[in-house]
Order: sequence, then C-alpha cells, then structure tokens
Amino acid sequence: MNKILTEVLVIGGGATGTGIVRDLAMRGFKTALVERRDLSHGTTGRYHGLLHSGGRYVVKDPQAAHECIEENRILRRIMPGCIEDTGGFFVVTPWDDPAYGDRFVAGCKQAGIPVEEVPIKQMLREEPRLNPEITRCLRVPDASADSFAASDLTAWSARQHGAEIFTYHEVRRLVRSGNRVTGAVCYDLVNAEEVEFSCDMVVNASGAWAGKIAASAGLEVQIKPGKGTMVAVNQRIVNTVINRCKMPADGDILVPAHTVAVMGTTDEHVIDPDKFSIEPWEIQLMLDEGEKIIPGFKDLRMLRAWAGVRPLYQETAANASRDITRAYVLLDHAVRDGVEGLVTMTSGKWTTHRKMAEATVDTVCKKLHVQRPCRTAQEVMEPETGGHGHGRGQKHHQLGARLAAVEKDKAFGSLICECELATQAEVEQAIRGGAKTIDDIRRDTRLGMGPCQGGFCTLRAAGLLHELNPSGLDPASAAEASASALRDYLQERWKGLLPVLWGQQLRQERLDELIYLNVLNLNSLPGETLSRLGPEDYTTPGAAQAVISQESAAAETHPAEPAAPNRLAVDLLVIGAGLAGLASAWFAARQELKTRLISKGWGALYWASGCLDVLGSTPDTNQPLLALRSGLESLVKRQPEHPYALTGLQTLAQALGEVQALCSQAGYPLLSADPKDILGSNWLLPTTLGSLRPTCLAPLTMTAGDCRTPETQKPIVLVGIEGFLDFSPGLAAANLQSLGIPARGVKVSLAALEGKTFLTSRVIAEALEAPKVRAELSAAIKAAAALPDGDGFSLSEVRIGLPGVLGMQPSYAIWQDLHDQLGCPVFELAGLPPSLPGIRLHRALVQAIQAQQGQVFDGMQVLEAVCQDDRVTGVYSEAAARPRLNQARQFILASGGFLGGGFHAPAEKGLREVVFDLPLTAPASRADWFRRQFLAPEGHPLFQSGVRTDQRMQPLNENGLPVYHNLYAVGGVLAAADPLREHSLEGIAIASAYAAVQAAVQAQSAAAEQINSAGTNV
Amino acid sequence: MTSPYKPVEMTLDQCIKCNICTTACPVSPVTNLFPGPKFEAPQAGRFRQTDQPTPDASVDYCSGCRMCNMVCPTGVKIAEINARARGTLVRQGKVPPMRRLRNNMVARAELLGQVAQPVAPLANMALSLKPARWIMEKAFGIHHSAPLPRFSGEKFTTWFNAQPRKPRTTRQVVYFHGCSTQYYEPRIGRAAVRVLEANGYEVIIPPQNCCGLPLLSNGEFTAARRYHTSNVRNLVEYARQGIPIIGTSTSCTLTLKEEAPELLDMHDKDTRLVAEGVYDFNEFLLDLYAAGSLNTNFRPIPLRLGYHVPCQYRGHRIGKPGMELLNMIPELQVVDSQAACCGIAGTYGYKVEKYDIAMQVGQPLFQFAKDMAAPLVICDSETCRWQITHATGLPAIHPVELLAAAYGLETEGALKAVLEALPM
Repeated sequence: MNKILTEVLVIGGGATGTGIVRDLAMRGFKTALVERRDLSHGTTGRYHGLLHSGGRYVVKDPQAAHECIEENRILRRIMPGCIEDTGGFFVVTPWDDPAYGDRFVAGCKQAGIPVEEVPIKQMLREEPRLNPEITRCLRVPDASADSFAASDLTAWSARQHGAEIFTYHEVRRLVRSGNRVTGAVCYDLVNAEEVEFSCDMVVNASGAWAGKIAASAGLEVQIKPGKGTMVAVNQRIVNTVINRCKMPADGDILVPAHTVAVMGTTDEHVIDPDKFSIEPWEIQLMLDEGEKIIPGFKDLRMLRAWAGVRPLYQETAANASRDITRAYVLLDHAVRDGVEGLVTMTSGKWTTHRKMAEATVDTVCKKLHVQRPCRTAQEVMEPETGGHGHGRGQKHHQLGARLAAVEKDKAFGSLICECELATQAEVEQAIRGGAKTIDDIRRDTRLGMGPCQGGFCTLRAAGLLHELNPSGLDPASAAEASASALRDYLQERWKGLLPVLWGQQLRQERLDELIYLNVLNLNSLPGETLSRLGPEDYTTPGAAQAVISQESAAAETHPAEPAAPNRLAVDLLVIGAGLAGLASAWFAARQELKTRLISKGWGALYWASGCLDVLGSTPDTNQPLLALRSGLESLVKRQPEHPYALTGLQTLAQALGEVQALCSQAGYPLLSADPKDILGSNWLLPTTLGSLRPTCLAPLTMTAGDCRTPETQKPIVLVGIEGFLDFSPGLAAANLQSLGIPARGVKVSLAALEGKTFLTSRVIAEALEAPKVRAELSAAIKAAAALPDGDGFSLSEVRIGLPGVLGMQPSYAIWQDLHDQLGCPVFELAGLPPSLPGIRLHRALVQAIQAQQGQVFDGMQVLEAVCQDDRVTGVYSEAAARPRLNQARQFILASGGFLGGGFHAPAEKGLREVVFDLPLTAPASRADWFRRQFLAPEGHPLFQSGVRTDQRMQPLNENGLPVYHNLYAVGGVLAAADPLREHSLEGIAIASAYAAVQAAVQAQSAAAEQINSAGTNV
Repeated sequence: MTSPYKPVEMTLDQCIKCNICTTACPVSPVTNLFPGPKFEAPQAGRFRQTDQPTPDASVDYCSGCRMCNMVCPTGVKIAEINARARGTLVRQGKVPPMRRLRNNMVARAELLGQVAQPVAPLANMALSLKPARWIMEKAFGIHHSAPLPRFSGEKFTTWFNAQPRKPRTTRQVVYFHGCSTQYYEPRIGRAAVRVLEANGYEVIIPPQNCCGLPLLSNGEFTAARRYHTSNVRNLVEYARQGIPIIGTSTSCTLTLKEEAPELLDMHDKDTRLVAEGVYDFNEFLLDLYAAGSLNTNFRPIPLRLGYHVPCQYRGHRIGKPGMELLNMIPELQVVDSQAACCGIAGTYGYKVEKYDIAMQVGQPLFQFAKDMAAPLVICDSETCRWQITHATGLPAIHPVELLAAAYGLETEGALKAVLEALPM
C-alpha cells in the first residue's frame, strides 16, 4: 500500500480540522489532513450558519459567550468574504419571559457583547415580517457565516503554507505500536486502495466521530452525538438573524443564509453519528416556533430539511444533552490514557473553531518541543483569485454580490445553476479544484441549493464533469461515473426534501421527476442506484409519531347561488391547458360544441418530450416496453381501475388516430413505430442524457434517432452547440455507448450565435429560422466530419442527432432543410424544458381549436366552482379587480394533478383537489406517500392518487355515483396511474379527453332531445 | 369568496423554474440585454434586499407586457416583481440623470398635453421637424423615429362640455377618458359617449387626471402615487353609488383596476372600491349583452379587418370581449392577430436604447397587418395604434368606433373615410 510520511496528521476536514492544519502549517510543521469525504461533509456542513455574537450564552454560559464575541471579531477580520454582516436581533415574543430581557442585557455587558435596544417600530421597518406582537428587540453583532466557504478558504490557506489535504480518505484505523500512536491507515475511496500515513503526532479532529477514531487505538472517548434538525425556507424572509430572547432551547433561531432562511434547531441524543433520522415532530416544531416569530411561517415554501450531529463530549454518565457545556474539549491521551502520539479535540462550536485550533496546536507544539506562536488570528485569508467565487473577497459577503457579478459580466448564458447563479467558470473551477461528486460541487458553488433543488443543474453539472474528466477515466468508466454522479446527487437532494415535501416544493419535485424519470428516462441507464461516493441517507423516521395530521380537508359546501345562466354561457368549459385540456377542447369544438378553455397558464406540453407516450414501462423491469399492444392488454387486465381500462383500448387507438390526423393536417405529422397498428410498437428514442425512451407517436424530427435495432441502424453522431449548456454531446454519446448504441459526440460553434449573452433552445431555434444560419450549421457539421486522424466521420454512414432546437412552429421546414443539406438522417433529442417539440404540439392544438371557433385563454386561474344540487353552474376565474364568472352547460376538469397544480398538499392538512374539492384516493398516512429512494422504479405511491371516475370520465363520490352530472375529469387528475413513471402521460390525456367529450356530446344531445320532446308535447 | 391576494415579492416562491415564461417573453429573443422573465423576477428576486444596492440593470429592459404572467402555471407575479425592482432602481438613484429626465418627459402625458395641446398646430409641426427630432434624440434619448402622436385641435372635454345636456336617466356611467382621448384622439371619446347613450346611459365625466401608468412603468412610484390618490378621491363617490367607471383606454382601466394598487401597495377601502368599480369598455358592453340589455340593432359593416388585442388588454384576464362584440356586427369579419405585443409597451419604444427592440418585438404583428391587406387595423390601446400606424402606414381605430358605426352614429377619421369608400 501507499505510504505517506508527515509530521502531524490531522483527522477530520470540518472547521476544526482545517483550522488545525492551517495553524500547524503556519507554524512550520509538515502536516497532512485526511477527511473521509469532502471538506465540511460532517457537522460543519450541516450547521445553522450562525456566527454567534455570544448573546445566546450570556445567561447560561458566560464563559462561552465571551469566547464567542472575541472569535466573532477575529473571524470577521480573517475571513471577511465568508461572513455576511446581517446583525442579530434578540426578540421577546408573547411566549417569552419578559424578565429575561434585562438579564440578557446585563449578561451581554458583562461578556463584552455590544447590545442596543431597538424600538419595535424600527424593528418592523427593518424586518417587516416579524411578529408585530413582539414586545422588545435587542440588537447584537450576530452574523451569517458560510461554513463551506470557510473550510475551503482555510484549507487553501493551509496549502499555501505547505500542508497537504486528502479528501475521500477514510481512516480505517489508527496505527498503534505499544503505547504510541504512529499514524493511521486510510482507504482512498476514489482510487479504491489503502494508504498508510506515518507521523509524529495524530490530531483527532473528527468531531462526532472522535470516539470511533479513538476506539480504533483501543481508547475510550465518549462522544454523545446531539442531533440537530434544521429547515430552510425558500427565500430570505429576514435579513437579520432572529433569536428568541429566552433561555436557549429548541427552535429559537432563524438565520438568513445566502438566498434562504434557516430555522433551527433541535437537540436529540443519538447513538451513532452515522445513523439518525429527521422526525416529523422536529419539523412540526420548526413550523410552530417559526410561526411565533414570523406570522404565516407555516405557509411559506419549505425548501429542505437536514440534520447534523453535534460532537458533545462527556466524561460521566448521561444527562440531558443540552446541559453539557458547549466549550471545547482537548484531550491529551498521553496524560489521560498513557498513550503518546495522539490528541483529540472535540465538542465546541463553529464560532470558536479557530480558537480550538489554536489550543490544539499549542499543545502539539509543547509535546513536540517546538515553540512557535500562533498567527492565525492575524493573517487575513484572501486568495488572489478574486472574481465572484464563493466566499473569496476582502469585504463581507452581500446577498446581491452574485447577481451584481452576473449583471456586470452579462454572464446570463453561463449559468449552470440558475437558481443560485453559479456560473460555468465557477463549476469548472470546483471540478479542477478536486470536486469528485456533484455534492462536492454544491459545497463549492451552491449548485442545486435553490428552489429547483437540482432539477436543471444536475444534468448540466454531470455534462461538465464528463467533459472535464478530472480523474482521467477511460470513456466507459467516465460514462459510468457521470451517470453515477447524476443519480447520487438526485438522491442526495431527495433525502432532504422528503421531510418537508408538500405545497409548492412538492410540485417542483414532480417536475424534477418528469425531467429525470420521464423525459430523460434515467432509470434506463445501467449502473448502481447509489455509487460508493453516494450520499448516506437518514434512517426512516418513526412513523407512529407523525404529528403532521392526515385529516383531509372537509369539502367546502358551496352556497347555492342561483346564478341565472347568461347569454355568454358556452356548451363546454375546459379547465386546464395541458394536453388533456387542449385535446378535450379540440374534440369538442370539432363536434360543434361551443367550447372555451381557460387556464392559469400553459401546461406540461412545454416540459414533456414532445412525443405521445402511451405506455413505456411495466412494473417488473426498468427495461423500456417495446411490444406496446401486449403491454397495454396486460395492463388493463392487471389494473382494472387504470384510466386505460376505463376508456378501453379502442377509444385510446381512435383518439390517438384523431390527434395524429390533426397533426398531419397542420403540416407536422406524427409517426407511429408500426405503420399497421397505431398501438403496435413503441419507438425507442435517444435523449440529451444519452438514455433511450420508449414512445408511441413521434414527430418526423425525432424518428430518425430510433434505436430499436442498433445492428441495422447507422451509428450516431451527436452535435452539441458551443454555449448551449443543456446538452453535453460527450456525456450523451458515452451513455448511448453503454447501452450498446454506437455513438460519438462533437461540438460546433456558430458565428451567428456569437455575441449572444445567453443561448437557450429558443434563441437557437429562432436563429435557425434564417436559412443562412442553417447553412452555417450544416457547414460546421460537415467541417467536423472532415477532421483528419480519426476525429472525423463520413456523413453518408452516420445519422446526426441535435438537441430539440429545430423550430418552435409546428412545421418540418427547418428539419427538412438540414436533412437536405447534410444528405443524411437528422433527428432531435428530448431534453430539459422548455420542450420545443412539445410547444409545437401545443401550438398546433391551439390553432386547431381556434379554427373550430373554440376559445383558448391563458391567465385565467379558476378560483372556485359554483354548484347547485348536482350540477356545476359556473366557475369563477381570477381577473383584474373582480373574479369573472364562467358559465357553461358542462365542464371538464383537466387541471393536471400534482404536476399541473390541480392538487394541493398544504403543510398540515391532507390532500385537496383545488377546483371542485373532489374526493381523492390517497395513501392514508403521509409516511406512505414517498419512497426513500427518489429513483425507486415502482415510483412514489402518492402519485397514484387522484380522482376516481366511471367510464364516462365522471368523478365519483364514496358511493360510486357521479359527484356532479355535468362534470368530467381527464388527464393527470385521474387516479390509479402514475403517468410519469409508466410513460403514459400523453396517452392517458388523449384517451380520457376523447371519452369525456364523447360522453359530453351524448349528454348534450340527450338534453336537447328532452327539450324538443317536451316542446312537442303541447 | 376571495381572490388569492399574495404580496408581490412573496409570489416568487411559486416558481418551479419551468421556463414557460422565458418562451413567451417577446423581448428576450431580440436583445442580449434582457435574459428573460424567469431570470429577472423569481430568480434575481431571491438576491434582492430592500436596503441594499440593487445590482440589476437588466430589469429595466422588461417592457411590462405581462405575457409572462399570463402563461405562468404557478402564479408568479413576474411583471409586478420587475416593475418593483425598477422602482427600486429609480429610488436608489441608479438611473443616469439624463435618462431619468427623459423618462419623466415621456411619462408625464397629462403635463405634456396641458402644455402642448393649447398650441397644437405649432407643437405638432415642431415635433414633425426632422432636426427637432434629432435634437430630442441626442439631448434626451427619445428616438427620432418613435411614433409621437399629434395633439388634437380640441380637447375631448371641451367637446363634451359643449354638448347639450341630455335628460337624466336612471342609468349613469362615469367615463374615464385618459390622456390619449383627451389630448390626442378625442374621436374615440366621442364614439364612446355616443355608444353609451345609444344604450340608454347618461355619461358623467368627473374631474380626473392621468392614471399614472407611464410613471409606474418608469419606476417613478412617488409621482404615480399622487396621481392615483387623486383619481381615487375623484372617483370613489361614484364607486360607492355603484355607478360603473368605464374606460376605452385599456391601459388606464388596468391601472385603476390593479396595477396602481398592487405596485404601490395601496389596499385601503377607497382604492379597492374604485378598483372594483372600473370596467373596460368592451367588458361593460359584453356584460350588458350577457344580461340581455345590450342594444343589438347593428347595421352591417362589410369589412374584413385585423384586430390586435394588446398585451395590456389580455392583462385584464377577461378574455377578448372586444372580439365577441365585434362578431355581433353583421358582415364584419374580424381576424385576431394572435401577436404577443406591438413592442411600444407604453413609453418603452420611445426610448433611443429600446426603439429597435420594440420594432423587432412588434414585427410579427406588423407582418400580420400587412398580410391582412385591409385598410384599417383595430386595437384597443392608444400607443399600440400609433406604433402600428408607424410601422405599417395603416390607420388604426378603436373597437368602439366600429360599434358607433354599426349603430348608425356619427363616425370620424379613417373609419369614416373607409366606410364612405365602400360600394353602396
């Protein structure tokens, strides 16, 4: 095994460890640090984000308070860019003992902490969202700290002074020889081999794991890991740290940290620092306590929850966790246990990490008979590489810094993570600087920490990782590594979403699921669900304690407003502009029903593949379904409640045929894989990830990419466009190769796009409307083909794959032109939203509806239905100043389920269908809504929820009878199917729309006949 | 039943980053300076802090057309977030002084009217002189080609006040004329009054001032607040009595209904009462039709015309009532432009740094108008009409003018000429 010699080995890459290795290096020691994962992977990376003023401790622990304020000042000076000078408030709420305030002020003065009384009016001016019932507000110099940036910066400084940092090196055991520790044996996780470090002194700075490390040398160090859970809110609802002015307890601090605000925390003893859960009661506590400082807190969008373990040391038997002193603990094992060569530094808090390091290194110096003073408090850490890198800079961090930098550089088009404004340059710097996983990139750049939680940036980051190939892997391994990186990161994000997955974040996750599991069909790529470098998960929370109640909202009774039907009433009102809504409106308008479609906004056609999926997978395998008809037949037998079972396969085929005819007429034909049977077979089409997705009807712009029989089909050349970050041709080609499809990737650069500050698929599509740009693209592809020395290829022997940029109109013109100019098959790939192929379908449908005198209106959100007995008489839609009443004879609900916003799951109550309050099937307990693995092939049980209907698509109540006689439900709202996972989104939409409209037409004719016959009975 | 009121900036929590808005924005594909609605509102919004410097110049390129709002599936108030960010830019002094002066010049429509209308012939001549326009561009930044309208020889209210008083009926409406009708196109106000009277209404025109939208669009919130407060004071008594307040200028009515209260955070009872009492002209007539009380004695108008429903109109979120009304006129064929935006976006297209963007944004609409090969274009918004005429050479009219013609009432201007030229 590899052997590395050093003087002092530091174990643990958190704040303490990096602080120690920096101090050691500055004092001239030859020193190395080993960390089992990435820096700040442990407690340091999961803490509250607070640079304490010390106010929290002034009454309970004055010594700690004094240390805090001293270190507060020092850290502000030596790592200014890692600190945001938010200031802090201590507020007395109606729930707090008013007398504590005076004790607090006295304690601050005693500890030397500047404290200032703030009038409540002033407090509310500065922080308008605070509870106006707060009676007292005191200002202290709390601040917000970025611990990732700090550890990173400290490690950089250590390296400047000659230290070596080894991440992904897990200590397996200390090496003990007699009564002396001489080093440690580590396992290099990346290269999968052991490494032995030999040294004069080992510093055990492994925090909550200090006990495990010491145990490997036969020493007992009792660590009581104290788990703390925190919840982040999606936006910066406060810009000042808010503390409750009372004896420290759970859930009493709210910290603004970059673009979010963090509510925390709890303190629960756990046994193993690697095994702990996030319990529902902890989340509930954060919500309840948050509500006390911010009225309406519970209704905010919760972004994420996480938990870390405090390294609490105690020499004696167990007490309540919070009563252990938070001061640090330095153990000289020579003195304590008679074993030389090892010191342990544990406990403590982030705010005092530098001082902890100083104390440790002072001891190390003494033991190694060296006398060098500590200068870590004097030397300011600011690397020359300025720019707007995370945490670097001479001034304190400001929230707007990243936005200002992007604006200044007009770097709009270089954003890998749009939510957090992380640029391509920053991500590449992180990768070159040693980031191994996307989670590592996250710590360096905040990638994936915003509202979409990796929805868009994960694919882009995987592409960059692949292109840079930092570990120099061979193509097959590189493909595997990139796919692993992608999977690992999606799971890493999921584990923190699960505890707070409701409301708008739930809708976000459903979109992310559409992207990765439906459009990009990630599960079809080979490989482990979690790699060796993948995230550790929390353990399953105790289900029985689920405090968040499951009672479903009582259906609101609508007052029977007898609104007289007015002359603007239509025959059919469709609610929702997804495929189901648009198809319904078209089927109806075509049959001469006066039809109006209203929608809050546009629908999932803008996000999905642009093809018509009917059924793509079966529950027993990840493999794409190709034999479509037999798959459908066994589905309807197996699942008699499935929407296809309700409509029947004949209706499905008929409906698809009609939509296919519509597209043909619009000049944008959709092809079926089996020309003789529309339900005969699926295509197998490639995506921008390089996976394959099955689909039933596909536009001609995509079918040349079919990969059902690779042996007989031409190899693929994927062409990416320089500056278009949503598509990495190298990554996609490597993944196709791993599926046995011969493929390679090239990138071209177009002069026509030079000078554009952002290159979205839309920008490229609009550019391609110009013939000369198409000519330039063809020429560039031909030039790539003509490259010498095996880099080129023969156009006549390949087919060319492009991202979905061949126009926004339902037309083949752009595709045809490229096909003709290149003289070889050309196809588009399904990729990240916006889906231009999907937009073409949307436009074709809207045009068709309007051609039949139907109306389609966006911007009209339905607020509430008006019903009388068993009929819906109208729905109110949101409008300027006054809601508008939309009346109709019949109504179709096509609001799309979770993805479309038709269902709402608020934080505390159950599930609700937002327009008509229709009864929904759903798993009884929230604990059963999701699986712990995001990519679980069976999908998440919640998404089978929906509205039960009969075969006429009429929603049913508990007694199996239609809730309203003139209401139908179609598409994503339907129960008993997860259309994303089984790749049936478009099929269900179209079949149910067809069935509903058939029923509605029949009902209208029947009603008309009744009136006629009544009229003739004179 | 309540409308889901959510303070503007909090709506950024709704965003699921789906990119639908970025595909609908008509500005971002034609300029490098505007990365799009998602970037400017829900994304940049998380980085803005009220008492900190505002680091975003690009938000000034938002035209305020509100297409983004209309297509957003989650309810982010994108246009409003952008408008407020622009207001912050102004408040923090981030707009260069000459530009700010220019913005105020084009934004004070009422002031301009008060000053220039009395000397209309002189003002019109001066503004049509090429050298004068070049000086205006160099000195102030008002593009030399931008479609400045011509001042009318007579104010609308002058005409109205000179009309014989009709006997008082039980049905009254207030007409909010707005600056364009008052100073530039009084013929539209005349048509509106005639049409309302043909439906048995007495038209009242109380004291009123500019709705303040141009000021709001330029981030001049303090001034806009003064205008809106004054309007509320003048109109609230009518609102209390349930007398509808009707406008033919779609931007004015949207401002009174929503934009001013929302952007200025004015939610007091009087402001709300006035807002709830404001109606767009077509909306009001269509409601009469729905209730069965619209005068439907329409004469045929054998024309086939293109109709552009302005982006500000769609912002009312009431569909296209103008379309439905015009479809009731026999033999009149009206074709919807389906275009997103004409580009002028109020005062946006008048600015030298934005003129080209505006002309490119409006390109699909201009092409539509040319392809229609019709003698007129119909459009509810005044600045859109001027932009369309500027870009295509075609005169543009308001739907109310066609309604007046269909009722057999007096017609004026381009419509009159076209109707007279029809074969009998």
